[in-house]
This record gives sequence, structure tokens and C-alpha cells, in this order.
Amino acid sequence: MRSETRIDPKLVEEILKFTRNVVDAPKLVAAPDEINLEVTPHEIAQVIDKTRLLHYKPLTDKQHKTPLLISYALINRYHILDIHPEKSWVRNLLEQGFDVYMLDWGSPTSMDKYLDFDDYVNGYLDSCVEFIKDETSTEKISLQGYCTGATIATAYTALHPENVKNFIATAPVIDGWRDTTVISNLAKHIDVEKMVNTIGNMPPEFMYYCFSVLKPFEQGIEKYVNFFKNIDNKKFVDNFLRVEKWLGDTPPIPGELFKQWIKDIYQDNLLIQNKMFVGGSHIDLKKIDMPLFTQVAVGDHLVSPECSMPLHYAVGSQDKTLRIYPTGHVGMIASSLSQKKVLPELGQWLSERS
Amino acid sequence: MNPQSPKEITDYYKHLSLFWTDLIHLMASKPQALTSTGPMRAFATSSKKIATELIEINEKLMEFNKFYTEYYKQLSDTWSVAQKKVNQKVPDVPHDVEQFEAFKRIWIDIFDNDFTELFDSEKFGENYGKLVSKELELTKHWTNISNVILQSANLPSKEEIDEVYKELHALKKRVTKLEIELKKKEDKK
Repeated sequence: MRSETRIDPKLVEEILKFTRNVVDAPKLVAAPDEINLEVTPHEIAQVIDKTRLLHYKPLTDKQHKTPLLISYALINRYHILDIHPEKSWVRNLLEQGFDVYMLDWGSPTSMDKYLDFDDYVNGYLDSCVEFIKDETSTEKISLQGYCTGATIATAYTALHPENVKNFIATAPVIDGWRDTTVISNLAKHIDVEKMVNTIGNMPPEFMYYCFSVLKPFEQGIEKYVNFFKNIDNKKFVDNFLRVEKWLGDTPPIPGELFKQWIKDIYQDNLLIQNKMFVGGSHIDLKKIDMPLFTQVAVGDHLVSPECSMPLHYAVGSQDKTLRIYPTGHVGMIASSLSQKKVLPELGQWLSERS
Repeated sequence: MNPQSPKEITDYYKHLSLFWTDLIHLMASKPQALTSTGPMRAFATSSKKIATELIEINEKLMEFNKFYTEYYKQLSDTWSVAQKKVNQKVPDVPHDVEQFEAFKRIWIDIFDNDFTELFDSEKFGENYGKLVSKELELTKHWTNISNVILQSANLPSKEEIDEVYKELHALKKRVTKLEIELKKKEDKK
């Protein structure tokens, strides 16, 4: 007796279509290198070493009085906050009438290996704040930090509260011991002293490794299967390639900064315990007494909500708001949800205080 | 001497190798000095350093392999368990598009869950930390060998370049501090 396996012809058709899509992909889609990630018009307001301060051109006749400076993360580049006109964090804020500046940390090279937390907080970030104050004739600015950029902004705000009118912390890395992500598990076991002494800066390849252990099958296989499946969908493909290009552009992190980062935040967890020092100055989170808006995402697999939320309870601010969104780390800043929910809520909160 | 354990064997060969490189180095240094000129003289005198580094690399490589094997064992064990779970949940080969999509979803969810659990575990973190640490030690030996070659060509070693970077960093900090103080004084005027 012969057993027969019946396969649905539609399944064969699907497989053949997928194969055709893979073959046709180069004809239909631009190469990531050909995509320009600089979406919203801006000028370079200031350059110090490899850092740049970008000033976006206004999109409204009237603007709120207090300018907003965004301190982007140390991982990847700032482009994710302006990844696509329809999903641009920056453009949305400009359309809500805010005067937006962005701090691009640039791509450090071997000679930057001695740059530390002090250089980033009291050097680069402070000089940007002072520049904006001078240029806009304001005494205080609004400061937003994203991910690791929010940790730097937290340290800055605690040390220089006189310069910050409103503080927005988006997925900040605050309480390393509470972080439930895979990243924190790796960070806790790394001999960071040996790494920095041996190779200097944290190499991008190490970061790519860290990315690869986050949902490896969804992000490493399914994502690309979906890309080829949707190769005819221009909108999907354009968005996919932009995010992929952004993901593939990870600059090194200066050695001394990385060392202090891993030790003080993930291994010894000094920041939330008010035991951290930057450039010899004590970081006391209670000194953050201006209005605070904390944004966290439930599905964040890079910075878990448990790691971010303690900031809300640790500061000295009376006027503070905590928002939790049903999305992920990138979804919170570059998705239709961020455009429809996250940004309007932030805009309303900020406009009432700007 | 009759070495028994792997450590004793390694130590024996390390001693044997160092004995001969030392002796050959001493015996050859005078004719080398006579016949070599310029950078190659430096390379000749430093050749012992390369031999020592290579022996130590060999030792570190054994330790590295131990953690590397464990790393792949953990990945492979997790894969097997996850695959068994998938097989239990989907015993039949999918025949149509819907079944195939359902199978794909189950496969990805189970694999992602099991691997995330592994990456999040103490045993993975500990082994991975040690693996990276050993890799860094190997890198350090390679840097030391490179330094010997660089110095033989009268080029600065990594440590010397680092010294320059450190000095530059300190100078930049001092200049920035002075600029801020100067600006404050100008603002007061």
C-alpha cells in the first residue's frame, strides 16, 4: 500500500512566489546605501569634536518659547527620530510648534577612547545647552533624552537643574539591577575593564552581537521573510530599509564612557541609589525638581519598563507624569502609535509648560 | 621528568621551548648583532618576546576553547529542546498555506522563548562573560606580538599611541575649562 502526501497547490504557489520575490528584489528595491536618512531640513548649529548640534527648520509660523533639545542614545544614530516623514518624531514636534534641536554624538574613533561620562554630560551636552540658551535668549530649555541618551540627560539635569525647564525621559536606562532584558544579563557578566584596556572603544560588532540575541528568530529570520513577501508594497519596503539601514549604523562607544556605563549603571547600579559621580560631582536624583515626563513601553526588550520607571519615583519633582505605552523600544518613537498617541500626549504636556 | 597531567605537559613544553629560544637567542645574538642593521636588529632582539607570546596564546586558546565549546553546547541543547516542543505541538507536516503559517508562528514563538530564556540565564551570562574575557586575552597577546613588529619598524606601539590619546584628551579638557573661564570673565565685563 502506498501512502500519499497531498500538498495544497496554493502552498506551492506561495513558495514559488516567494522565490520570485527574492530574485526580483534587487530590481524593485533601492540598496540601503542609496537611501538618505536625513529627512527633515535642518542646519548644523554647532560642531565640537565629532558631535554636532542640529537645529531643525520650523514648520509653523508661531513657536513655543522654550526650545527643546533631544539627547539621542549612544547606540545607533539619531536618524531613527526622523526616519520617515510619516513617522518622524522630530517633524511631529515641529508641526506642534516646538523649536527642536538634536544632539548627534557622531562616530567616535580610537583617539576618543578616553572620553568619559564627564565629557558627555558636562562637556558636549552642557555646551549644546549653553549654545541654545545664547541663540534663543532663554534661561532654560526643555530637554528630552532617549534610551541611553536619557541617562546622560538625567545626569545632566541632576547636575544643572538651573538650565532645564522641563525634562522628558523616553525609555531611560536608570535601574540596571531591575532591568530584565538579555542585554542587562550580558552587561552584568562582562569584564568591561579588560575589554576597554584591551580594545579601547566598544566595537560596533559587540553591539551587533547584543542585537542578535534579542528575539533571534523573529528579528533574524521572520523579519526578512516578511520583507521578501512584501517586496511589492512600496511603503512597507521603504520603511523596512530605512530602519534596517539605521540598525546597521552603530558607532563605537568611547572606552572610558562604556566602562563607567556598564559598571555604574548595570553592575553596581549607582545611579538609582544616588551614589554615582560624574566628573567628581555627585548625581543626586532629588535635585531633578522641574516638571518630568517619563515614557516607557511595555514591550521594550532593550530597556525594560522596570529599569526606566524608578526615575519617576526617585526625582524631587512635584509635577511629574508617567506614561506606559503598549509598544516596543523603537515603536514608541517611530511608529503610527507614536504619531497618534505618544507624540500628541507629549506635545500637550510640553506646550502647557513651554 | 615525566609529565602526567595536561598542565604538567603544557608546562614541560613551555619550559622546553623557552629553554631553546633563550639559548638560541643568546647564542645567536652576537652574530645577529654583527650581521643585522637598523630595524631588523630590533626585531632580532625582540624575537624571544614573540616566541613567549605564542606559547601563552596556545595556553589561552585551550581555555578559550573550553568556554567556546560550552557556548555552542548551550545553543545546541536549547535548539534540541525547542525543536522537540515544536514537534509535540505540530506532529504533522503542514499541507496548506494556513497550516504552514500556523507552523511558522509556533516554531518562531517557541524558539524565541527558549533562546531568550537561555540568553537571560545565569549560566549563559557567566559562560559568555568568560568566553569574551578569554577572547580579550588572546587579543592582548596578538597586540603584544604586533607591538614587537611595529617597534622593529620604528613605529609607535599601541601603548605609546594610547599615551598620546590620553595626553590629547587631558589637553582638550584643560583648553575647554580655560575657554569657559575666559568666557565668564568676558561676560562679567
